[in-house]
Formats: sequence, C-alpha cells, structure tokens
Amino acid sequence: MAAIRFDHVSKAYADGRRAVDDLNLDIADGEFLVLVGPSGCGKSTALRMIAGLEDITDGRLSIGGVIANALSPRQRNVAMIFQSYALYPHLSVAENLGFALKVRKAPQAERRVAEAAAMLELTALLARRPGQLSGGQRQRVAMGRALVRDPNAFLMDEPLSNLDARLRGQMRVEITRLQRAAGVTTVYVTHDQVEAMTMGDRVAVMRGGVLQQLGNPRTLYDHPVNLFVAAFMGSPPISLLPGFVRAGADGPTLELPGATLALPPRPRLLSYLDKDIIVGVRAEMVSLTDTGKGDLDGTVAFEEDLGASVLTTVDLAPSTQARIVDDLAESDIPQVTRRLKANVQAGRGGRPGAPVGVLMDPQRLLFFDPVTKLAVG
Amino acid sequence: MVDTRTLGLALRRAAILLVLIVALAPILWLFSIAYKPAREIFASPPQLLFTPTLANFASVFRFFDLWSLLQSSLIIALGSTALSLALGVPAGYALARAKSRYAVWLAYFFLIVRTVPPVATLIPFYLLMRDVGLLGTWWAVILINTALNSAFVVWMMFSYFRAMPVSIEEAALTDGATDLGAFVRVALPTVRPGIIASAILCIMFSWNDFLYAMFLTRSESKPISVALLSAYGTYDISWGTLGALAHFSTLPIVLMMILLNRYFVQGLTQGVH
Repeated sequence: MAAIRFDHVSKAYADGRRAVDDLNLDIADGEFLVLVGPSGCGKSTALRMIAGLEDITDGRLSIGGVIANALSPRQRNVAMIFQSYALYPHLSVAENLGFALKVRKAPQAERRVAEAAAMLELTALLARRPGQLSGGQRQRVAMGRALVRDPNAFLMDEPLSNLDARLRGQMRVEITRLQRAAGVTTVYVTHDQVEAMTMGDRVAVMRGGVLQQLGNPRTLYDHPVNLFVAAFMGSPPISLLPGFVRAGADGPTLELPGATLALPPRPRLLSYLDKDIIVGVRAEMVSLTDTGKGDLDGTVAFEEDLGASVLTTVDLAPSTQARIVDDLAESDIPQVTRRLKANVQAGRGGRPGAPVGVLMDPQRLLFFDPVTKLAVG
Repeated sequence: MVDTRTLGLALRRAAILLVLIVALAPILWLFSIAYKPAREIFASPPQLLFTPTLANFASVFRFFDLWSLLQSSLIIALGSTALSLALGVPAGYALARAKSRYAVWLAYFFLIVRTVPPVATLIPFYLLMRDVGLLGTWWAVILINTALNSAFVVWMMFSYFRAMPVSIEEAALTDGATDLGAFVRVALPTVRPGIIASAILCIMFSWNDFLYAMFLTRSESKPISVALLSAYGTYDISWGTLGALAHFSTLPIVLMMILLNRYFVQGLTQGVH
C-alpha cells in the first residue's frame, strides 16, 4: 500500500500533442480515486504512467514516497486490471491467478490462489482456460489476479465496460467492497459517470489532458467548477438554459425562457447585472404542475418512461431578453437551449404537446459565465 | 421429390472428391509405379490390376544408402528450421511491436526475398560457401535454407504477433515479469500455433529443396531430394526405382502433416486479421 503523487506530470507525443498536461494529484494511502472523463481526456494515460507502461515526459511521479519515473513496472509493484482483462490465453484460471506470485517467487502461492478463488467464487473454474469462461467470469479472474498479490496499488482501466448493465451494477458494489476490505490504494479509470459517482472516495474529472476538478462525488455534482464538469457529472445530463440578469425595481431578477424569477442572493451574481449568464438545472430540481401555476411555462416535447419515474423534456416559452449564446458549441458540453429535462413521478407529466408549468428552487440553480465557462457564485 | 438439401450435400461432396482426385492422382500414380514391373508402367491402357512386386524397393535398398540420405534430409530440414525460427520469431516480434508505420512495409520486404529465383543466387551462394570452406557440408544447405526461410518466418510471425493484444504482455509486466520474461512466458506461448505452422512450412521447404542441395552437398551429405535424380540414368529412367524412392521422400512429411494437422490448420487461420 502506498500513496501516489503526480507532481506537474505531463505526457507529450512527438507530434506535440499533450495527452496529460501538468497534472498535480495526491492520492492518499488506501484511497479509492476515480479518474473520469470522455475518451481521449488522458485518464488512461495517467493510469498507465503509474503502472510504468507509459513514459513520463515532464514532472515527477512518486509511489510510496519513491520517485517512480524511471522504475520498471516490476519495481513499482502495482496490480493492473485491464479493460480487455488481458488474461493469459494459454494458462488455466489457477495459473492466471498465480502468475504474478510465480514470477516473483512469492511464498504460499497455492494457498493465496485458493483464497482469492474462493473469495471470487472461481474455485470450480480453476482448471479452465480463459477461452472457456463467460465475460463475467473473465472479469472476476482479472480481479483475482490483482487480489492474490500484495501490491502498492490497484490500477483499474475501465474494468466493467465489457459487461452487461446488470452485471456491471453488481460488480460496482463488489469492487467497492473488495477495495474497502483490502484497503489498497486504488486508481479507477472510467468514462461512466455513474461509476464515478458511486465508487470513489474522490473523483478527478479530466478533459483534454487537463485536470478539471478533484473532489468527493457530491461536491462535484453540487458544486462543479465549470460547465464541463457540470455537464459530465449526472445522469440525465444537466439542462443548460440561457439566462439574463436584470436590475429590476424590486431588486435584481433572473430572466429565463418563459419567466422572470427573483435572482438568488449570491454576491457574485450581482456582477452580471445586464449580462448573459448560463443557468444549469438538474432534472431532479424540477417538478411539473398545471400551466400558469409554475415558475416557468412550457410545453412537453417528449417523455421517456424509466419505470420508477418519467424523464420529461419540456420546451420553455421563448424569452425576450435571454439569448442563446452560440460560441459555446463544443462537442462535450450540451447546447444551451430552451429545453429542460425534468425527472417527474410516473403519472405527473403530460402528453407531448401539452402545456405545463415548471416549478424549481432558485436556490439550487447553477450559474456559469458564458465566456469563461466557469461556475459563478 | 428430391430433397434439395440432400442434393446440395451430394454435389458438394462430389466437388470435394473431384478436387481430391486431381490433387492426389499424380502422387498415387508415382506410388503405384513402385509396385509395377518395368514393362507394365507405361502399358496402354494403364493396368489397374497388376501383380505387385517389391523388386523396386529391393533395388533402392541395394543401390542407395537410404539411412544416410534420410539422415541428411532430416539434419538439413531440422537444422535450418531451428535456425529460421530462432532468427525469424524474435525479428517478427520486434517488427510487430515497432512503433514505426513502415514496419508493415518492412515485413513485406522480407517476403520479397523469397520471390528471387533460386537459380539466380546459386552461383553467388556456391562461391560464398566455397570461400568459407563449407562447400559439401550440411551447413552450406542449412545456412542457405535459413536465409530464405527465416525471411518467410519473419513475415508470418509478424502477423501473428500483430494479432496478439499488447495488453497481455503489459499484464505480464505489471505482474512483475521482465521484458524477456513477458516475451518468453506470455507472448511466445500465445502465438504457439503460428510457430508450429511456420515450423511445418520451413521443414517442408527445406526437406524438398533440390537445387541448393544438388550443388552444395557431396555424396556423403546428399539428402533424399537429390538422390531422386539418380533414378534418371544416362540412357533411360528407372521409373520403378523413382517411385520406390519417392515413398521415402514423401511419407515422412505426410506423416508429420497428419500428426500436426490440428496445429497447422489452427495456425494458418488464426494469424489472419
């Protein structure tokens, strides 16, 4: 077990592309850290740097207080779980589990393999080859290969992405449980924000090689530092509405499509008087009511019945002031539109085309600068 | 009414049979003449029923040192195959793992070596072997076959290693293996079907090599492929002897193919990507 520290670490390729750009990250001993972001954000490169499978261009990486930049994977003593599982196809399950112990000539290898197999319910499969296993069983062998060891850290590279949804849900719980029991520092890479929200002690959100925000999942969800983090965390994704802050006669107001609300009392919002602002609304902040009775008016665009609730997409009425800012168009941030997603109880929505009123708590709204895309207030 | 499925199956079997007859007829004819008395070999129409004779085999044992011939063939085939694999497998691996985009071109370049007509290189090779003092030894043929076959092994193993996921080796590295350990313990066993397929083809090529062996060996290092020529006399061709001798040059390879057939087919189809 060991703490892992990225100190101004960068990875640049010959063509000048920077996969990881000046990463500073302290991972505490025994912590479960999730590295999350869209594909190509540098999260896997960062993980492979810890494993020693990727050279470090700049900066220092330390594992357990030892500078690891020049250490071989063997010297780093970390256990990695690959997205493809990377099981040895010519070896049995037992030999796969015991490979690391055999290579390192570790004592009591057989006993440890038997224990790991029992823990992961692989005992009956020990004589099989990976080719004879189901996807879920292969995943468990990959887990077991890490668990038999006594490594400085577990590195997991999207280990659940090849499983079906039900099994993925089970394994999320299982991996979290095993990590807590083992108490081994774990870095877990995923593009799935559900895994990020549910598994990690802390979550590091990356984009284009740059760390955007580091914090516990709740902080990232409630207080994202910028539009990207706000949009990436949360399912269904956050709705972004065009807003306009106006100095009204009875105090400042917030103009949104279809309504004008009192501006929430946050000091920094006052610097946006007579300016555009982007308003982030999460689906669970919103409820629907009869038209005319809500804070905003709109019509139901379509509904997605999720069983327990209905995800209702509402088109808000056009607004006089609030304009849609065009220069935000970026592929990994949703468009700023008059569309709002509301997670409502089954039976509380309306037919597509029906007029509805939208209720929301102004205190919970998120605000972003249209130019810098940073959170405001 | 005729069942179309049964008819289709019958037609398919008939087609396979036809191909088999075309492919096997010359070999069967070659084998059959070994058991025929000389005057019946070219009887017209061909005699399907004849009194078999072992006289041709008797003359093979009388006039040829069969064990020495087979020994030379075996040493040349196995020696050049072992060397070709020792050179070609690591080279194919290095090419497959090279980050350069020219690696694929280079792999095909190795294949070009095999397209050079052997006759064109015969004299240079002859002079080379004479100068290094290997003329007339097994080594001369072994080294030349290695030069040709290792190029082929490089190309073949290149595609096998390319088809193997890098993550398997990376897993071995993070499991604590050294670079060499990951290669020997994980990469090599994973491409075993490819190695076996390469080995079989190398053995076939060098076992059947006639041209280089003809000019670079002496009577005591002569393999069976060259001995077959002895059946061609100055005034006539001893077809019966040729047929009997062909048994000994063909059957070892056929036997090997039957024994290793499983690996061979698996190997040839697995590397395709």
